[in-house]
Amino acid sequence: MKNLKKYILSAAVVVAFMSCSSDDNNPVANNVTLEFNNTFGDTPIVLGDATSSAATKNTSDAGQIHHFEEVKYVISNIRLIKADGTEIPYHVNDLDNGATVVDQSKPETLSYIMSDIPAGDYTEIKFGLGVRSDLNTLDQVSFPTFYENAGANDTQMHWEWGTGYRFTKLEGFYDTDNKQLSFHSGSTVEGEEGAYTQGVDAYRDITIVLPTTTTVGNSAPTINIKADFDYFLSGESHTVTLVSTEDITNNATPSAHTATEMMKFVENIGGNGTTDHTGMFSVTSVEN
Amino acid sequence: MKKTIQSIAIILLFTGCSTNDTEPIIHDNPELTLNIPIDFPELNSSVYNNMPTQYGVELGKKLFFDRQLSADNTISCSSCHIQESAFADHNPKAIGIEGRIGLRNAPPVQNMAFMQFYNWDGNKLQLENQPLVPIITHEEMDSSILEVIGKLESDPSYIELFNKAFQGEGITADGIYNSIAQYEYTLISSNSKYDRVKQNEGETFTTSEAQGYAVFQNKCISCHSTELFTDQSFRNIGFPINPDSEEGGRARITGLVEDYMRFRVPSLRNIEYTAPYGSFGQFETLEELLDYLDNGVLEADNLDPILKDNNNRIPLTTQEKTDLIAFMKTLSDPEFLGLED
Repeated sequence: MKNLKKYILSAAVVVAFMSCSSDDNNPVANNVTLEFNNTFGDTPIVLGDATSSAATKNTSDAGQIHHFEEVKYVISNIRLIKADGTEIPYHVNDLDNGATVVDQSKPETLSYIMSDIPAGDYTEIKFGLGVRSDLNTLDQVSFPTFYENAGANDTQMHWEWGTGYRFTKLEGFYDTDNKQLSFHSGSTVEGEEGAYTQGVDAYRDITIVLPTTTTVGNSAPTINIKADFDYFLSGESHTVTLVSTEDITNNATPSAHTATEMMKFVENIGGNGTTDHTGMFSVTSVEN
Repeated sequence: MKKTIQSIAIILLFTGCSTNDTEPIIHDNPELTLNIPIDFPELNSSVYNNMPTQYGVELGKKLFFDRQLSADNTISCSSCHIQESAFADHNPKAIGIEGRIGLRNAPPVQNMAFMQFYNWDGNKLQLENQPLVPIITHEEMDSSILEVIGKLESDPSYIELFNKAFQGEGITADGIYNSIAQYEYTLISSNSKYDRVKQNEGETFTTSEAQGYAVFQNKCISCHSTELFTDQSFRNIGFPINPDSEEGGRARITGLVEDYMRFRVPSLRNIEYTAPYGSFGQFETLEELLDYLDNGVLEADNLDPILKDNNNRIPLTTQEKTDLIAFMKTLSDPEFLGLED
C-alpha cells in the first residue's frame, strides 16, 4: 500500500515538473499575497492594555469608547474567482496549507502568501472567517501544523469544549473606566451540514468583488484586505450596547461566552449569511 | 459475514500489493452482549456503530485508568470518574493537572449507552466525540491526541491491544475514542434495591422508602422520569448560578435565550454516592438540596413552569424529605459501585 502511494506520488511529481518546464517568460502560476489591515474605520489598530495611551480608541454607535489588547481571527477556505466565474480553490480542504490565524500582535501573520496560484485575471475573492464545520474538529492527526499554531500558548485558538477552533478572539476594554471586554466565537453545531441537530454555526463565508482585476502571471499581486473592527459593535446587523449585567436579554454582556451573545457579534463582523456577505471586510486595493 | 468480507478484502489488498508481505493476523474479537435492563430507554444509535467488543472494552478500560492521557501523567479519566462514586467525583468542580479547577461538576459515567445527550449542557450527542475534550482541555489533562498516541506507542502491550481491538490498525485516534466509549457503554447500573423491588425479587421497600417513592411520584417524576430517572430534558430550576463567565448552560450550545442556565436533568441512580450536587457542586448533601427546593429557588424568565406554578418552590415537609432520601438511597447499586464482590 505504501509502495503504491509512492508510485502515485512519483508520477505526480514527474507530471508536475513536465508541466512546469515551459519557458519562464509566461509563468503558469505565481504567488498572491493577502495583506490584512485591522482597523477602526481608516485608522490602523494599535493594541494596548487597559490604561494604554498608544492603543487606538474607537467609539461605537451606542457611544461606548473601546480598544483592544488582542485581535485574532482564523481565515480559511480561500477561493479566487476569474471573470468567467471559475473558482480557484486554495487548499480549501487542508488547514495546514490553506488556513491561517491572523494575529495583530504578530506582524508576520498579517501577510498571507498563497503560492502556485494559476496565471489569470481574477475579479473576486471568497474566504471563510473561521473554519468550515466539516473541518472544524480539532483533528491534530490530519492537520498538525495548523493545530499547533492555533493552539500555541500565545494564540489560544482552540475551543476545547466544542472540539473546534476559536474563529475570533478579541480581548480589550470598554467605557471610560476600562471594563473588560472579551469576545470568543466558534461553532457548536452537531450533525451534518444542512441537517444540523443542534448548535450554532459561527463560520462565515465572505465574498468581495475586487476593486481592480488581479492579474497573476509575471506579477505576484497583493490584495489589501481591510478588517474594520468598528463593525464589531456597530455593524450592519446589530448596534450593540455592552452591559455588565447578568440579564442576557438586555443586549450584550461582553464577557459572557455563550452562543446567545456570540452570534450578534458574529453577524456584525462576518455578515448574516443572507443579505450581508462581507461583514467587516473590504478590499481597499490590489497591487498588481 | 461482515468480518469474512473484511478478511477477504484485506487478503486481496495484500496480495495485490506485493508478494513478500507477511500474512495479516486476523484477531478473533467477539462482540460483547450488552445486558439491556428491563424498561430502560432506547440505546443511543451510535452504540450500533461502535458495538463493544472483548478487546475494545479491555483497551478502553486500560485507557480510562491510564494517567498517560494527561500532559504530566498525573490524571486519568478515573481521577474524576471514580467507580465508588458511580464514576463521578467528590469535588464540587473537577480538578485537572497542577490542581487546575474546571467549570463544572464531573458527571457520573453510568448508563451512557441509553443517553441521547452528554454533559451538563448536552454539547455532545455521541459518546465517541467526548474523550478528546478532557484530553485537550487546559483545566483537565492539557495534552493532545498526538502526544497521547506517542506515549502509547512506546508500550508494546498497547500496540497489541489496539491491533486486537481494531483489526490490526495499530494505535489511532479513533481507536482511543471508540474503545473508551465501548468501555463506558458497558457501565450499566440496574441492580439496585429499587430494581429488585420492582421486579418482585423478594425484596420490599421499608415504610419510609415506600412513602418516599410516593412523594417522588407526586413531586419529582415529571423531570426524573423513566428507568434512568431523568427525562434527558434541559431545564432551569433556579439553582445558584455559576459565577464563571464561561457558563451559560444549554444556551452555550444553542444560542437560544430560553436555554440560558438550563441544564440536563441528572439521573438519580446512585445519587447517594455522587455528592456534591448541582452543575458546579452547589449542594454538599441531598438534605441541603431538598431544603433549597423547599425554601424557594432563584427567579428567572425561563424558570421551569413546574416551579413557576408553585411559587418558585417544591414544598416538602421534613418527613417528606426524610422519606425521599430513603427512597433515593434504594437507587444505589453496590455491585456497580464495586462495594461488594
